[in-house]
Amino acid sequence: MAVGRTISIAAVALVFTSLPQLAAQQPTGTISGRVVDSASTQPLGNVTIAVGGTSRGAITTTDGAFTITAVPAGTHEVRARRIGYATRVSTVTVTAGSTSTANFMLPAQAAALSEIVVTGYGTQRREAISGSVATIDAEAANVGVIANATQMLQGRVAGVQLTGNNGEPGAGVQIRIRGGTSISASNEPLYVVDGVPLQNDAISPDAAGIADINKQLNRNPLNSINPNDIESITVLKDASATAIYGSRGANGVVLITTKKIGGGTSQMEYETYVGVANAYKELGVADGAQYRAFVTQQVSAGKLPATAQSSLGPANTNWEKELMQPGLATNHNFAFSGGSTQTQYRASLNYFKQQGVVLANGLQRYQGRLNAAHDAFTGRLRLGLNMMASRVQNDFAPIENTGGFRGGLFTNMLIFNPTFPIKCTAAMTSGTTATPGCSGKEAGSYYEIGSGALDVRNPVAMANQIEDVSPENRILGTFSGTLGLRDNLTAQTTVGIDYTDASRRTFAPRASPIGAQFGGYARQAERQLQNANFQQLLTYSPRFAANQELEVVGGYEYTKIDNHGFDAQMQGFITDAFGVNNLAAGTQSSSPVPTSYRVESRLASFFSRASYGIAGRYFLTGVVRYDGSSRLAEGHQWQTFPALSASWRISQESFMADKPFGVSMLALRAGWGKQGNQAVAPYQTKLLLRADPGAIYPIGNALTTGLRAAQVGNPDLRWETAEQVNVGLDYGFLNDRFTGVIDVYQKTTKDLLLEVDVPQPAVVQKRLDNIGNIRNRGVEFSFNTPLLNRATRSLILEIVGTAERNKITSLGDALAACKKDGWWKADPIPQCTTYLSGFVSGQGQSNQYSQRIMVGEPIGTFYAPIFLGVNAQGKQEFKCRASSAGCVGGKTTDPTDADREVFGSANPDFTLGVSNNGRWGSWDASWLWRGEFGGKVFNNTALVYQTKSNATQGRNFLKAALNDPDDITEPAKYSSRWIEDRSFVRLQNLTIGYELPSRFVRGRSTRVYVSGDNLLLFTGYSGYDPEVFVSSGLASRGIDYATYPRARTFTVGARAQW
Amino acid sequence: MTTFTQSVRRVGRVALLVPLLFAAQTCTNLTEVPHDALTSIKSDAEVLAGMTSVYAQLRSTEWVGYITLQDLTTDVSIVPTRGSDWYDNGQWLDLHRQTYTSNSSGTLAFLNGAWNDLFSGIAKANLMIDVVEKTPSATQARTLAELKGLRAWYYYMLQDMFGGAPPLVSKYSDKPQQVASSTRDELFKFIESELIAAIPDLPASWPPDGYGRLTKGAANAILASLYINAGVFSKNSGVSASSYNSCSGVTVAGNKSACQAAIDAANAVINSGLYSLAVPWSRNFSQDNGTSPENIFVIVYTKESSQGLGGNWPFRTLHYNQLTSGWGGPWNGFATLAETYQQFDATDERRGMWLAGQAFSFETGQPVNDRTGKPLVFTAIIPDANKADEAVGVRFNKFPPLPSAATGNGMPNDFPYFRLSEMYLIKAEALNEQGNQGAARTELAFVHNLRNPANPIAGGLSQAQLRDAILKERLLEFAGEGKRRSDLIRYGRYLNKWSTTMLNGKEDMSSKPHLILFPVPQPQLAANANLKQNPGY
Repeated sequence: MAVGRTISIAAVALVFTSLPQLAAQQPTGTISGRVVDSASTQPLGNVTIAVGGTSRGAITTTDGAFTITAVPAGTHEVRARRIGYATRVSTVTVTAGSTSTANFMLPAQAAALSEIVVTGYGTQRREAISGSVATIDAEAANVGVIANATQMLQGRVAGVQLTGNNGEPGAGVQIRIRGGTSISASNEPLYVVDGVPLQNDAISPDAAGIADINKQLNRNPLNSINPNDIESITVLKDASATAIYGSRGANGVVLITTKKIGGGTSQMEYETYVGVANAYKELGVADGAQYRAFVTQQVSAGKLPATAQSSLGPANTNWEKELMQPGLATNHNFAFSGGSTQTQYRASLNYFKQQGVVLANGLQRYQGRLNAAHDAFTGRLRLGLNMMASRVQNDFAPIENTGGFRGGLFTNMLIFNPTFPIKCTAAMTSGTTATPGCSGKEAGSYYEIGSGALDVRNPVAMANQIEDVSPENRILGTFSGTLGLRDNLTAQTTVGIDYTDASRRTFAPRASPIGAQFGGYARQAERQLQNANFQQLLTYSPRFAANQELEVVGGYEYTKIDNHGFDAQMQGFITDAFGVNNLAAGTQSSSPVPTSYRVESRLASFFSRASYGIAGRYFLTGVVRYDGSSRLAEGHQWQTFPALSASWRISQESFMADKPFGVSMLALRAGWGKQGNQAVAPYQTKLLLRADPGAIYPIGNALTTGLRAAQVGNPDLRWETAEQVNVGLDYGFLNDRFTGVIDVYQKTTKDLLLEVDVPQPAVVQKRLDNIGNIRNRGVEFSFNTPLLNRATRSLILEIVGTAERNKITSLGDALAACKKDGWWKADPIPQCTTYLSGFVSGQGQSNQYSQRIMVGEPIGTFYAPIFLGVNAQGKQEFKCRASSAGCVGGKTTDPTDADREVFGSANPDFTLGVSNNGRWGSWDASWLWRGEFGGKVFNNTALVYQTKSNATQGRNFLKAALNDPDDITEPAKYSSRWIEDRSFVRLQNLTIGYELPSRFVRGRSTRVYVSGDNLLLFTGYSGYDPEVFVSSGLASRGIDYATYPRARTFTVGARAQW
Repeated sequence: MTTFTQSVRRVGRVALLVPLLFAAQTCTNLTEVPHDALTSIKSDAEVLAGMTSVYAQLRSTEWVGYITLQDLTTDVSIVPTRGSDWYDNGQWLDLHRQTYTSNSSGTLAFLNGAWNDLFSGIAKANLMIDVVEKTPSATQARTLAELKGLRAWYYYMLQDMFGGAPPLVSKYSDKPQQVASSTRDELFKFIESELIAAIPDLPASWPPDGYGRLTKGAANAILASLYINAGVFSKNSGVSASSYNSCSGVTVAGNKSACQAAIDAANAVINSGLYSLAVPWSRNFSQDNGTSPENIFVIVYTKESSQGLGGNWPFRTLHYNQLTSGWGGPWNGFATLAETYQQFDATDERRGMWLAGQAFSFETGQPVNDRTGKPLVFTAIIPDANKADEAVGVRFNKFPPLPSAATGNGMPNDFPYFRLSEMYLIKAEALNEQGNQGAARTELAFVHNLRNPANPIAGGLSQAQLRDAILKERLLEFAGEGKRRSDLIRYGRYLNKWSTTMLNGKEDMSSKPHLILFPVPQPQLAANANLKQNPGY
């Protein structure tokens, strides 16, 4: 593009003409001082002191003192900052060769408003930000057992909804910043670590699935990053803040900054904790006695054959209890930092291990990080390196996303007959007490139904026998050089690499029924993701008038993504001895053939941001990004994403000088911007001819390669764009004793990327198109105040809340026929498969959908027959339309599609997070409550397993079924009966810490603490947890099916600093 | 300036020059070429591969595609709800009971799938026809004949199900076109002319390494079937839902009567000398049935199979415990009606395709139990299809399973679209319509008496009696081979209640003649605004 090239050449020219400005050494002086708590006047350690406009800084010692050397002579703004305290700034004049003093008194406060915030491609003063930007104090959020950084956002940022998929260690997380506004494209935010955008793809290769196609959900890609290395997290929410990230900003941006150390102070830190977790709730399967009694009763009633009774086993096994274990978590962090006045570094090492609360799975992480910075040419050139290498060892439980027909662990936990033993005793293997699942086996071997590959398998055996591990290696590094070209102009070049290399090793031994059917099954899959990033930034901040400030950032960014993978499987082994280590030992080489793939994509961008401030009162920020993506069609690849925002700090006005109504701070912000979403698979714009197994045909009984059109290309495919308007208010009352933020927003997504049916003839049924609009509206607020603020005692309260409404406003004209027939408002509403989602899982549930995407309703809308009750014959009755076949008196036992109605949605009406941080002398305590109110969750687990008809197949069921009046022949039918209220209140974390007196321990500070995660859950939901995610179709949400239970964890830990 | 600052300047210049030059060169190039797929076809091997995918698409016509639906909507096959198993939102019984509407469960699951699958075959053929027409070669005419013949077969199946359908879009287009449907008669004429044009360029037979590819015989067999159904297929309206729709009175290409055209096409196959009836009959369906002399056109299956290149007929019908090796055992679904089973004489070798009474393991030969531990005995009567026991219903064993096959959908038994026996029965039916009962009986007896010599076809049958005998023979011969729905529609008996006892909830649908065509599935109407729903829906 001509425009792009011109800008780039201009940038080159600018850099060259500026080079001679590299100057000689400057005279320097020293700043020293002391920091105390403003209320108690006690000294404050661990306060970060930074000299504005330089790289110089220090950290206070336990007596609150600090010294900063080699500060360039001149007048500087010196900033003192400590977690839990408001930041204070002091202006200090340094003269060459002498020491200036700067003393600070910091008032306690939870979220300091006056701070430097990391925003896109730079930092900004909090008061100059006119967009909606939230920051998280990483130290306050890093409590309890935190496997990855995303968990730290939970309940602490308004407008961020975070739902862990399930309770497996390292499980993936669904993060929605201001709700999901995309149906087919990604709804995940963009993660930027130390300035480099990450590729948010699963690192491990996909699971093979247990003889079925239901893969596990992806794990969290941030598992490889040590939460202890994180200094701060910034969440960019509205378009005026995210537009600088252009095509990838539509779902919000999470900026993660790792810890650095200024001033060259030497320090060591060691932190460790040990945690123990258990599943805090049981679903409650029928136990051996209950099942036996039920079968006996049904046999005497003639509803089960007598053999059903005689084939019961001798044991009483609670499979749910047997599968659970206390899961241990341990964590060790060691960090040291130091350096000279010119070179600073921080190095850290982390080992983290988390066991699941279910047998035989977990996560281990080894991670090393080195952050270093070096000043050259008297501070004119600053070089920075952030380098992380990590290895995450995933040990997966044999589970699947939607359980599957034959299912994974939890399906079998629910159906495996409770009268069967876990293992065979000697008596069961032969003689008169021989049991079918044991006869002929050795004593001590696992009990299995039959000898071969049956649907139902011993879940304990399965957990122990199936091996599914995935080591993930990741190198994440950035190297940057910042050159001061003139006093007010800096150029920064950053090169970043995010490289991951993971393999997945799966082995089902011959000894397990799953492996037995294949003669042993082994698979190794490899996946490499490479994301290279280059950034060139110029920052210009002229001082042209005393009370005006201007900063202009301009830049170019180039990202190349290159992903490839390989997968090979083998069956038919003579022994289990090789595991996955000798694929050539298998015989069935023809079955799933080895596969490999390679996918590349590129992004190129030019962007600029200008911020202008007058008198510290009026701020205006304009952003423009010109973004190109190779994933989109030619002619649609480039697009401009503009944003404009302004803020007015009303409290700085003279008419507010006497603080009317106690208003000590008031700022009004307003912003508008456009963001993009290009997160679709590459090459969607082209007709692709693929040679794959589905196109092979055995011509003359010889397998002949077929080239299959894999997709109907769409040469018109373009960005999904979101427009967002945000109006916000920052407030403070009574000398900022009460502070907070209120934001109101509307986000409209246009040109939704949606898979639509293609008119036939077409090589495939669907293709991606830009169709339809979605609107999100919401209100967010945060509020914080010290409830107690005394010399040695403080208690800070922080509340964040969000109310959001999502609505699909259009699904386009291409689907005219749906609308023409009155699809949207019709009574009854006919079906359009394009818009069916949330497929129902389980036996006998094929082609059943629980959700529907329709105009006028939110994403995640449930659509179901309305359950009325169970009749005298034990058959379920549902509401029906008089016109439906079989409808008598408004009731039917076989609801048709026309009898379905909208039955709420999975979206909460309102979410709330309440946290407290307290200090009482040497003691400290913090807790976080979270609640979500309104919204529904579909208990697919209960639908399928709270069904006594399972007993006709010799399978167990949830014991709740014993109390319902359904007849044993009644099949599981999806209806409103299984859609429950999702509201809950949770005590997410409670931590109590104690700072050991220095007479006990040497060093700067040592803190010991106890912490509990997920301590209390108040909910009416009958499943494990209402916060659950199962992927079941387009933009589905709020569905629970045979998921891994969530844990309650107790932790003891200590942190020492020297 | 000092030398020091000069050297600093030089270093700085180089340091910044490198990345900036890199940026300037690559900064705006966004062209990506896929590494693991082609975007166009050029070489002969690629052309063959492209055509292979048109053949591969044939697999989709069987399992819950055209073939399965042809039987599932009739008295040949039923999938009862067994506990929670096979409930599946009522889709199976929706089709069996003919309660389908444009958006009922069965329509959305299976009819929509069939529509897409058949058109996908057409689109793939279109794509290849474009390529081959542009690249002259020694085999160009034959390859085009093969592709066009296959495309005609896909259109045959489409019009059989839906009547009119969107016509040919000969060029691949990445801008999908919303074209209006052709009438059924237009499609009939198109299929007919394409096949007639293809026959001269198709080989009479392929060497063994071409087994499965389209031949003159296959094209003639499709034509014969098209003509015998001309009383239905060539009519835009006026098909009788309650009386026989004869080929007589329909004029086709060459100004021939459709009945004569059917006889001519069948004769072209019979007289080619390439085919003969298989003895025993089961030879047609065995695991190595690729060598059966009766095969005219088949879906070639192979056990090389986790790739899904095999058939799943045994798995959909057999009980879980009859095969325990491989992919969790069979699925215990498809069965037949007691009335259908009872049509098979004890002396007819074709009765062997059914499994009734005590069930046995295919691996050990031993009797097996059901999942509650009771001996598994398949009973013919299905008392209530809404809540069936796992043992009810006689099972299909027409395509016997290979216990050692790697997966359940990996059975190597080829699936025949057309076998020689059908040519004799088509000929018999057409001769009967021409009033030549004697010759008709001869053709019928030729097939029947070979299969059931103990109970041969009687002489002196009237035209009406012969029609009945031929329909019954077609049931005995082709049950489970996807012929029944077309046959019943041609005979005006599709909508009957099939049995006197009104079993299984099937009602008499004869007052709803629109059901002889399937509805155009709602999603297709949504995708193409110019499509028209079939009348009555």
